[in-house]
Amino acid sequence: MSTAVSPAPAASAAGDTPLLRLEGVSAGYDRAVILEDINLTLAEGETLALLGRNGVGKSTLIATLMGATVLRGGRMQWRGGDLVAVPAHRRSAAGLGWVPQERWIFPSLTVRENLAVTARPGKWTLERVYELFPRLQEREDNMGTQLSGGEQQMLAIARALLLNPRLLLLDEPLEGLAPVVVEELVRAIGQMTLDRDLSFILVEQHARQALELTSKAVVMDRGRIIYDGASDTLLHNPDHLNQLMGFA
Amino acid sequence: MLAILLTVLFDGLAYGMLLFLISIGLSVTMGMMGFVNLAHGAFAMFGGYVATTLMQRAGVPFLVTLPVAFALVALASIVVERLLYQRLYRRGPLDQVLFTVGLTFMSVAGITWFYGPSQQPVVLPAFLQGQVSLFGLEVGIFRLFLVAVGLLVAAAVVLGVERTRFGAKIRAAVDNPVMATGLGINVGGVFALTFAIGSGLAGLGGALGIQILGLTPAFPLKYLVLFLIVVSVGGLGSVGGALLAACVVGVIDMMTKYFLPEIGSFIIYAVMVALLMWRPHGLLGKKS
Repeated sequence: MSTAVSPAPAASAAGDTPLLRLEGVSAGYDRAVILEDINLTLAEGETLALLGRNGVGKSTLIATLMGATVLRGGRMQWRGGDLVAVPAHRRSAAGLGWVPQERWIFPSLTVRENLAVTARPGKWTLERVYELFPRLQEREDNMGTQLSGGEQQMLAIARALLLNPRLLLLDEPLEGLAPVVVEELVRAIGQMTLDRDLSFILVEQHARQALELTSKAVVMDRGRIIYDGASDTLLHNPDHLNQLMGFA
Repeated sequence: MLAILLTVLFDGLAYGMLLFLISIGLSVTMGMMGFVNLAHGAFAMFGGYVATTLMQRAGVPFLVTLPVAFALVALASIVVERLLYQRLYRRGPLDQVLFTVGLTFMSVAGITWFYGPSQQPVVLPAFLQGQVSLFGLEVGIFRLFLVAVGLLVAAAVVLGVERTRFGAKIRAAVDNPVMATGLGINVGGVFALTFAIGSGLAGLGGALGIQILGLTPAFPLKYLVLFLIVVSVGGLGSVGGALLAACVVGVIDMMTKYFLPEIGSFIIYAVMVALLMWRPHGLLGKKS
């Protein structure tokens, strides 16, 4: 069982270039530093649960990957290149797909426009995301904000999938949703894990659900990583999980 | 009496179309991008001087000067936006107001230095002069032309914003610039292009309006309040609202100048106050 904070674990296979590597990353908003000395590696096709209580810096880490925070120090590598040098608006083209915690559906756009406005060519097409979320097709002419919370979440995920990303950043996609909607979204995320070209980072407070869907887990506390290891390991050791999450 | 009333009404509509062409860019800049650009009238003035200079010094036909005025003002506005305005996007409205008022005074001084303070003459082509009978009403051909251009531009802007991918990008960028950026929209580029189109339309309005509005270096200051009335009464960022407000302002201004010249200014401001008390977000504006 790996419990200690691991400084930038090696890539999945020796000599392989990881999809994402963070080394000593510190970042925050304006003058506030929220993330400190973050080291993290994710291989191609790997799935990661990013766990921790409210306010420990999970969403800030996701926003930092998208260039939406102020980077104070450290290195961020994307497929061997410097991610910091990639302007924020080019990160989706580089392969990062963002589903923010707030969903941020564009209210002035219809469902179809929300999906099409930034879609990029690839194996995720409008038809395929409609297969994954049939309700979106039924409501494609509605304005984005006329949807329920669960439908908005589906739209946010579908919108990110249509970028045809290599890494999907899902920030608390299950938060505040009815159990039946959570079930539907978990099923959809489960289907997405079958795509071996798609990695994702799943930020969740519901640790068990996230661990069941991912191969690797990271637990954060006060802006730092306090656990970096296999999801299975934590899933089978609930006491340790509770301790890390501060519930014990 | 009815014929006079209808003629004045039509003249007011034509005047309103000019106000719309010039104000729509300001409405977009203020409503969508949240930038208070009080130098907007200077872009219209620049368009007017481009047209008169081309006509007087190079013999360019009036109709040819119109797209040139649009294009040159749009290009100039990109330079201004990239060099100056984008530094002020995150500053408060007071900074933006002071900065753009300063630019307005600089443009007035600059044009006075180059062209002198006097009114610029314009000779319209023969086919735009005279009158034509429309449903039994004698209307000026040039005013009819202005109404047609205004309606065409309004339709093009509405279709462009509502029906094109670029229009969807503008709306997305306005709704949530951080998310739009995260999804790959170059928000700065989209805003710069939108700003350029809006400024270009002001240039077009300035060129079209030389005969009716007049063209002197004082133009940006003389009409600034009317442009702001159109934007605020129409509702920030609303194309349909700006068109409606411009027509209302144009007709009321023309009517009062004709029938009640002594209190014309009072009435236009009283109407503005009443409309904003009735609908604080403008005729077709959305609650922010």
